[in-house]
Amino acid sequence: MIKDAVYAALELSEHRRTQRRAFLKTAATSSLAVGGLSLLAACDDDDDGSVVNPTPTPTPTPTPTPGTAYTDGDLLNYALNLEYLEAQYYSIAALGRALPESSLSGTVGTRGAVTGGRKVAFQDRGIAAIAREIALDEIAHVELLRTAIGSTVIAQPALNIDGGTTGAFTAAARAARIVGPNETFDPYSSEDNFLLGAFIFEDVGVTAYKGAARLLVDLDILERAAGLLAAESYHAALVRTGLYARGRMTPSFRTSTNAISDARDSLDGSSDLDQGTLTQLGGGGTTANIVPSDSDGVAFGRTPEQTHNIAYLRATAGIGGGFFPAGTNNRVESLRVSGANG
Amino acid sequence: MVGEMVQHAVRPAEERSSRREVFRGMLGAGAVAGGLAIAATSSAQTARLSDADVLNFALNLEYLTANLFAFATTGSGIPSDAQSGSTAAGAQGQATGGRRVTFVTQETQEYVAEIAADDLARVRFLRRQLGSSAIAQPAIDLGVTPTSAFSRAAQAAGVVPAGAALDVYADETSFLLGAYIFGDLAVTAYKGAARLIGNKELLDAAAGILAVRAYNASTIRSALFAGTLIKPPAAGELNPITVSEQISDARDLLDGRDTLNETLGRGPDADQGLRTSTTADGEIGNLSPLNSRGLAYSRTPERVLNIAYLSPSAVSSGGFFPAGVNGAVRTSGAAN
Repeated sequence: MIKDAVYAALELSEHRRTQRRAFLKTAATSSLAVGGLSLLAACDDDDDGSVVNPTPTPTPTPTPTPGTAYTDGDLLNYALNLEYLEAQYYSIAALGRALPESSLSGTVGTRGAVTGGRKVAFQDRGIAAIAREIALDEIAHVELLRTAIGSTVIAQPALNIDGGTTGAFTAAARAARIVGPNETFDPYSSEDNFLLGAFIFEDVGVTAYKGAARLLVDLDILERAAGLLAAESYHAALVRTGLYARGRMTPSFRTSTNAISDARDSLDGSSDLDQGTLTQLGGGGTTANIVPSDSDGVAFGRTPEQTHNIAYLRATAGIGGGFFPAGTNNRVESLRVSGANG
Repeated sequence: MVGEMVQHAVRPAEERSSRREVFRGMLGAGAVAGGLAIAATSSAQTARLSDADVLNFALNLEYLTANLFAFATTGSGIPSDAQSGSTAAGAQGQATGGRRVTFVTQETQEYVAEIAADDLARVRFLRRQLGSSAIAQPAIDLGVTPTSAFSRAAQAAGVVPAGAALDVYADETSFLLGAYIFGDLAVTAYKGAARLIGNKELLDAAAGILAVRAYNASTIRSALFAGTLIKPPAAGELNPITVSEQISDARDLLDGRDTLNETLGRGPDADQGLRTSTTADGEIGNLSPLNSRGLAYSRTPERVLNIAYLSPSAVSSGGFFPAGVNGAVRTSGAAN
């Protein structure tokens, strides 16, 4: 069912995506201008367009969208769902153990089980060391957020990190067509597949934190979230450089990242918020694209809804699917739902 | 002089290796001290900053790295139309002393070219956002003579002897080490600046730049680390792992040892090299310089300037910015 939804979304969006990318390429200058205008419009109405901020230490005012009232704590819980997913994936794959039970309880949402996952037999010393490092960092992120959130912390939701026939990784890989429609994608079968599995959601964490920064009110929480954003960006670049380097001998590692990126893009709406590791050069040939960023050299952000489209592997509005079969946990429903892009 | 001070105070390598374990044992204390540390690090200089001041401060760092990467990839600095600005906040200067690097690893060459393009795009982006209040490019020392900023940084870190030069353009690894000096620094600068930006659109953009800077820093660290695995350095060659630790220690000593706050990602040891550690789980990499909570570190603008000026005390120029940075924030932290 998930798979079908993804396929449908891909078919529908493929033409749109092609058009969009072509547009972005030919209209780079005008999109630049639009970006600048929107930023400036939100800054100040001065005719010279300069950023003027007469208030000495501006206090951010929460401006929740109507109908989506949530607190910083709710936003941290939104992030914690993603950290549970990443921590379990890396911990099981790199260290051979799931997170302890004491790290999974909560007062909000249903405590779910982890489906799938096993230790990867690493061959490459560098990849193994990096995988363990990321695992320990992600475990630390879960603990940090649980402590920061306190008594209203969510329980770990049900997670599907399986690479079998009904696994979310398989669904994502089929959607990206890096495996055939009847093939499975097991991210634990090799360190190569482990890196591709990590790639499927690494940049998503970055865009989720980036998108959430402007929604946070408390400055300490903002600083903490900025630290998490940076950490996820370091991790994402490690995964991307790891795949790109391997792609010298096996080009499919590079092309697969572009295919996965396109699949993610097809799920989260019309904006182009995603890039693989390979960029086509104007005069032919390709070059590295380690940083997914816009033409201003600024990384992308995703709204909570867009993040859920990827996490649920669905282009439609709803709760649940993909890596979170029963949905993410949150007190606030608007922080659990995916966007209607299908 | 700076070199002597830093060399004198460099801590033994053994102290660093047990850092993560030590921090793990201090989590309780760090959490309790949180509230105090915030007040202590919010200086009078940063308390009065407008969003434009913060962005202009960041623009100084973008000018610095954009020129470094432009020289390495093209042999010249950034285009002149990306250098002009409001001289009310400081005179326009030249970026000098850089040159083109001969890369031997195809991937590294591509990574560097990508960072160069992103850096220049960001210079233009910030200038556009700032409009007429954008600062001009300050004078930037990217040279490699024995008295240049790179060489003095290397001397201070103990990478080269006193009075010796470090040519960061000599080869690929040397360039990556030169870039490494600023990679994590920029991450900590943007993270530290996040709370200073009031406008939500600008904060959103700054968060996007923070992320890109972390991707870039990670790419540089990863290329250095991978290089040592592919070809372990021979005797007499620069060992990137060792050098990364030396530079990290030097940065840590210059920036004044911020009060430990684990849950915000601040601390006296806001910097880490590339040396791996080993636990019961096996070898653990240190590609991401994070604290025991998995957080990247923050630096205040003043602490960033301590490193850019290569000075542990309050000065308004030096190091990579021989005439100082431009804009409202110009003075490094005091009595570090």
